Amino acid sequence: MKIFWSFTRQAFQFVSVYRFNFFAEIFLTLLRMYAIYCVWRILYTQRPGAFSVDMGQMITYGVLGMALEIFVWSRPQMYISQQVKSGAIDTDLMKPLDFHLHMLARSTGETLVGASLAVPALIIAYFLLGVNLPPDIGTGLLFLFSLGLGYLVLFHLNFLLGALSVVALDIRHISWAYYSVVRFFGGQMVPLWLFPSFVGIIAGVLPFQSTYYIPMSIYIGKFTGVEAARAIQFQLFWLVVLVLTSRLAWGWAHRRLVVQGG
Amino acid sequence: MIKVEHLTKEYKRVVRREGFLGSVRTLFSAQYETIPAVNDISFQIDEGELVGYIGPNGAGKSTSIKMLCGILVPTSGHIQVNGLTPHKDRMKNTRQIGAVFGQKTQLWWDVPVIESLKLFRDIYKVSEAQFKHNMSLFNELLDLHEFQNTPVRQLSLGQRLRADMAAALLHNPRLLFLDEPMIGVDVVAKERLRNFIHEINRDQKVTILLTTHDMVDIEKVCSRIMIIDHGRIVYDGNIAQMRAQYGKQRKLVVEFEETIPDFSVPQATLTHSEGRKKWFAFNRFETTPSTLITQISAQFPILDLAVEEPEIESIVRTIYQRETESTEAETK
Repeated sequence: MKIFWSFTRQAFQFVSVYRFNFFAEIFLTLLRMYAIYCVWRILYTQRPGAFSVDMGQMITYGVLGMALEIFVWSRPQMYISQQVKSGAIDTDLMKPLDFHLHMLARSTGETLVGASLAVPALIIAYFLLGVNLPPDIGTGLLFLFSLGLGYLVLFHLNFLLGALSVVALDIRHISWAYYSVVRFFGGQMVPLWLFPSFVGIIAGVLPFQSTYYIPMSIYIGKFTGVEAARAIQFQLFWLVVLVLTSRLAWGWAHRRLVVQGG
Repeated sequence: MIKVEHLTKEYKRVVRREGFLGSVRTLFSAQYETIPAVNDISFQIDEGELVGYIGPNGAGKSTSIKMLCGILVPTSGHIQVNGLTPHKDRMKNTRQIGAVFGQKTQLWWDVPVIESLKLFRDIYKVSEAQFKHNMSLFNELLDLHEFQNTPVRQLSLGQRLRADMAAALLHNPRLLFLDEPMIGVDVVAKERLRNFIHEINRDQKVTILLTTHDMVDIEKVCSRIMIIDHGRIVYDGNIAQMRAQYGKQRKLVVEFEETIPDFSVPQATLTHSEGRKKWFAFNRFETTPSTLITQISAQFPILDLAVEEPEIESIVRTIYQRETESTEAETK
């Protein structure tokens, strides 16, 4: 736990080195929130009943999705790929840390730094754009729990991609496509219930919806009771599968590791 | 401390075909060639030894060290480091070893040195008392306090290496791997690092495996030398033995009272002549300096004399060349 904090502290220091970025990012996040707010407002004035939730809920969903852009901040797969390419991976493996947990600690630190940005942006959005609070405290807590699971699922998908990069070396192109998939099938901007049936079925079995769609649907009160429980079960199922796969994948990658240069 | 038996590491490399069509073909049906980076080596290192591990570029030094650290997984063979198999018990193994890779830093680039060291303290679970004790030791021996608040990216190379050395020793490892730790460091900083290495080996009984291209490092600090080439160990023993075995040639430098024309002496060859000085090479098993001096002084008056030992570098060069020739002969 102490090490976890050490990594978080480091990530904070890293951000403080590039201080300007901090305010620029908050501003950008607000802009994105405002854009999605405008889109839904216009759509709702055109066809008020077409989206199966009311406008307040939908705007909340959209703004939240923009705030959770911070999820894609931490890219352990890029870190791994870079370390392997430059040969600096040996300095990571020299440390008495489980590589998988080490990456998780790093990633969590970076995401928490992101959260320190998302929270002020959300507070501003609450006053300016009229974002809803969760219906009750229980829902709020459930949302946070589901959000944590969502983060862990995404981390493990990233980590698997990172393990692949040990062998494939260059994953920049894959990574770009990958994030489009994460955003689209994750339902960052458009909730899954609005997907056409066929795409909706695919999105429904893939792990990506754990990241955005499930926690955000819980937050706005779309998922309640049994539905919420089932959604969280879905997240847990994928998390277990991905943790096991990640452990195996890293063992496989480590045997194939080549340290470049010197 | 270290026991290595029949250790082999092979890399697979895609054979690239030439031209555009060739690269398309490679994309669909890649051919691999297997390159043995380390080829069936065995050795043993005892506690408290300071071993120089040398070899030309690409000989397999770094690969073998990385296997000892558990970073790379061997293709075959056995390694035991203090009773552990590094790639299987990587985490446990890294707690008992420290390493400095001269070309890369283990520290975090953007944060001050002291913050990196604190993170190392947490990672290795170093107690506060031990941390304080080691920090004061590093301040004394490495002058760490001069730059401990500077971010790593702003350090000079010599400072960075000192910081890396501190990071590697913070958890009091029993074994230290130094992979070209002094590459590109100026003479003064080099001398300090050498002394430091010597001191921790002598005072704290840390076993050290030192990789370097600088033979002066080897001569000044190492008690034993292992030479690796083409993935094989070609020499393993102490330096005096190596001199005896390979360094048959000595040089006699004679300064005469006046400039004299070249002349020959039995069992010695004149290799160089400059002003009033002349250099004679001889095999020390065939003749002795005193015989030569008697012969020479009988002909010309001598002003000054010196016998030069072969430089260790030239001995090592002989060994490398011999090895290259024998490998070439093998492949033919």
